[in-house]
Amino acid sequence: MIDDGARAVARRLTLQYLGASTAILAASGLLGVLLRWSQAVPQARVGDNFWYAMMTAHGLGTFVGWAAFAVMGLSWWILAGVGFPTRGFGLVMARATWWLMVVGVAGVVVTTLIMGFGASWVFLYPLPFFGSGEWGAWATGLFSFSVLLAGLAIVTWCFGILHTVANREALHAVSANVFRRLGISLGWGYLMPRTFATNPKPVPYAVIPLAVIGIDMIIATLPLAGLLVWQILESAGWVGSADILLAKNILWWFGHPVVYLLLFPAVAAYYWLIPRYAGRDLVAGHVIAIAWTVAVIANVLVWAHHIYLDYPDGTLQAQINTAMQPMTFSLVLPSALSLYSLGFTIYRSRFRWTPASTALFFGLVGWLLSGLSGVVNATIALDVAVHNTLWIVGHFHHMAMLNIGLLIFGAAYALLPELTGKALYSERMAWVHVWTTFVVGMLVFGLWLVQGLDGAPRRFSVLPSSYDTITRISLPLVFVLAAAQLLFFWNVFQTVRGKAGVATFDERGIPEPAKGGRGWSAPAAEAGLVLAALVLAFAFAVGGYLVGRERAGGVATVTVPTETGGAAAGDPARGKELFASSGCGGCHALADAGAAGNVGPSLDGNPRLTEELVVARVTNGLRAMPAFGDRLSEEDIADVTAYVLQSAK
Amino acid sequence: MSQTAIIITVAYGIAVVIGSAISIAIWRSTTRPLQEDRTWAWSRRESAWLIVVLLALFALLMGTIFYVPYGESAGPNKQVVRVTGVQYAWAVDAPAGIRAGTPVEFLVTSTDVNHGFGLYTSGGTLLRQLQVVPGKTQTLVHTFTKPGVYEVLCLEFCGAKHHAMVATFEVKPA
Repeated sequence: MIDDGARAVARRLTLQYLGASTAILAASGLLGVLLRWSQAVPQARVGDNFWYAMMTAHGLGTFVGWAAFAVMGLSWWILAGVGFPTRGFGLVMARATWWLMVVGVAGVVVTTLIMGFGASWVFLYPLPFFGSGEWGAWATGLFSFSVLLAGLAIVTWCFGILHTVANREALHAVSANVFRRLGISLGWGYLMPRTFATNPKPVPYAVIPLAVIGIDMIIATLPLAGLLVWQILESAGWVGSADILLAKNILWWFGHPVVYLLLFPAVAAYYWLIPRYAGRDLVAGHVIAIAWTVAVIANVLVWAHHIYLDYPDGTLQAQINTAMQPMTFSLVLPSALSLYSLGFTIYRSRFRWTPASTALFFGLVGWLLSGLSGVVNATIALDVAVHNTLWIVGHFHHMAMLNIGLLIFGAAYALLPELTGKALYSERMAWVHVWTTFVVGMLVFGLWLVQGLDGAPRRFSVLPSSYDTITRISLPLVFVLAAAQLLFFWNVFQTVRGKAGVATFDERGIPEPAKGGRGWSAPAAEAGLVLAALVLAFAFAVGGYLVGRERAGGVATVTVPTETGGAAAGDPARGKELFASSGCGGCHALADAGAAGNVGPSLDGNPRLTEELVVARVTNGLRAMPAFGDRLSEEDIADVTAYVLQSAK
Repeated sequence: MSQTAIIITVAYGIAVVIGSAISIAIWRSTTRPLQEDRTWAWSRRESAWLIVVLLALFALLMGTIFYVPYGESAGPNKQVVRVTGVQYAWAVDAPAGIRAGTPVEFLVTSTDVNHGFGLYTSGGTLLRQLQVVPGKTQTLVHTFTKPGVYEVLCLEFCGAKHHAMVATFEVKPA
C-alpha cells in the first residue's frame, strides 16, 4: 500500500486529466452532432470545407483529447490503487503531459475551426499542402505543431508510466536491474519466475497493459513526430516534399498503436474495477502474460492493415500488407483472453449491479462487438468491401464510444466518490445515461455499419442521395445520444459541487448511493419509459417527415449564388495560356487548345456556353468541377471566358 | 450490395447474435451466484481457450489470405484504361471505349494528393476499390459482366470537394 501523500498526488493528476478531457468531450461531441445534422438536413448544411474542418477537430478532439486523455488520467489512479506511486521524474512527466495535451488540443481547435484546416485527423501527406485555397501554409504549420504537442504529450505520458511501473519497491522485485524490472511489469514473472523474480507476490494484472502501451507508444510516436517536424519545415518553405508512400506508412505506424493507447489503459481499468464489483480476484491464468507479450511486439508491426488497398506497382507494399494480416490476427489474443478472464470474473459471482458496473459491463459487450467488426477490417479479402466506407466509422465509434467511452463513464461513476470524497449526485440519472448511451449508441453506430455495407463512402460532407433515408433515421437517435450525455455532465458537475454530501463505501470499496438520494420509484421508472418512448416516436416521426418530403421533391435545392459582376471582356490570347496552365484540358474537350478531356462536358459543340455561365462555373465550380475563384483573379477568369467563347466550335 | 458485403453481413450478424447471447448469459448468471469457488478451474482452462482462439484465427487466415487483390493479371486479351485523379475530378481515358466480357486493366494514378478509386454500379453497389498514391501507378483488373453506366467515386479523403469527385463511364455490350 502507498501512503496518503502519494495517493493525493495521483488523485490530483487523475482529476486534472478527467476534468480537461470531459470538457473536450462536451465540445467535440457537439461537433459530431453538427456533422451528422449537416449530412441529414439540407437546410442545416454547412460549407464543405467547414464540415471537413469540424470533422478534423471532432476526430482529434474526441479520440485523443477525450478518450485517450481520460484513460491516460485514469492510469495514475489505477497505478496508485495497486500500489504504484507516481513520483520524481514520473510525476514531472505526468504534469508535462497535461499541459502539452491541453495546449495541443487548443491549437487543433484554432487551426481547424478558425483557420479552416480541414485535411482530416489523419492529415494524409501531402494533402496539408493542397488546401485548394481553403487553408494556407500558416494553418498547416500551426496544425502540425499542435498535433506535435499532443504527440509529445503521449511520449511524456509513456515515460511517466514506465517510470512508475518500474518501481522496484512496488514490484517487490528481487533484481535492481531496470530491464528485469520492466520485464516484471510486462508480466514475464508469470512465465519465467526465476529470471523475473518477485518477493512475495507477482505483478498486479492491471500494471501489464500499461507497461505494454508505455513502451509501444514511444516507438510509435517518434517517427510521426519526425513527419510533423518535416511538415512544419515544409510549410515554412525550408524543405521540399517528403516521400508520399513513406509518409503514409509513418502515419499508420502511429495510427494503429494510438488506438491501443485507448484500449490498453482501459483494459487496466477493467482488470482493476471488475474484480471489485464481482467480489473475487481476476480469473486469469498465467497464459494471459503470453498474450501481452504478443501484444507488445505485434502492436507496432501491424500498421499496414490500414493501407491494405495501397499496393502501387514497383513497391513492396503488397508483401508488407499480406504479412500484416496474420500479425493483426495475433492481436486478437490479448482481447480474447482478457474478455475470457473478465467474463469469468463476472460469471456466477455476487456481482453488484450499479450504474458504474453496468457501464463497465456494457463496455465489455462493446469491446466484443467492435472487436468482431475489427476482424473483418483485419482480413484483406473482406476489407476490400468496407475499406473507407461508413462501416469503418461504425466500427471505431463502437470501439471508442461503446467500449472506451462506457469504461470512462463507468470509471467516473465508480471512482468520483473516492477521488473527490463526495457522493454521486444521482444514481437515477446515471442509470438513464448508461442505458441510453449503450442502447441508442448501438443503433446510431449500427446504422453506419449498415450504410457502409451498402457502399456509403466515409468522409463525405454530402452523401450520395441514396443513403439519405438511413442518415435521416439516425439523426434523431444522435440527438437522443447527445441529450443522454448532458445527464452525465450535469451529474458530474453536481457531484463535484458536493450536492449529495459525503461519499460512503461498502466493504468492497464500492460507493453507496447518496444518503437521502432518491432511488427508483415504480411510477418514476414508468414515467421515464413512457417519456423515452414518446421522444423516440416523435424523433422517428420527424425523420419520416423529412424522408417523405425528400421523396416528394419538396426540398428546395440549395444553389450557390453566382458572382458575375465586373467581368469585363477579357483577352483571349492570355486566356489560351491560362486554359493550358490551369489544366482545363484535363477534363474538357476544346479542339483549338488541343484538349480532349472527357471528364466534364465538351466545350466544343456546347450550346449552353454563355459568358455568365462560364464565369460562374469557373469561379464557383460545380460537382466535379473545382472552383477556381480562389486561384484565378477575376481578370484571369474573364480572359479564360473570352478565349473559350471565342474558340469553342 | 456486393457479394463480399453480403458475406460480411451474414458472418457479422451471426457473430453479434452469439456474442449477445453470451453477454446476456453472463449478466443473468449473477442472479444465482456460486456457493463454492470454482474460479481456479476457469483460470486453468484459459490455456484451452487460447488454443481454440488460435485455431479459429488460423482457419480464418487460411480461408481468406489467398483472396488478396494483389498482383492481378488481365491476361493478353485486355482493355487498358488509364485513370488519373486530381483534386477534384477523375480523367477516365479509354480511347477505344470499354466493352463488357473482356478484362479491363485500370492503371490508376494521381497528380496531386492521395485519392481512392471506388468503382460503383449506377445503382450504387461498390464493386472494387483501390488507393491512388501520387506519382505511382496501381493496377486493378475488373471484368464487367453487364453493359451500362458505371460511376467512380473518391474513397480517400482529398479536400473540400472530395465528395463531388465523381465520374461516369459507359460499358458497351461485348
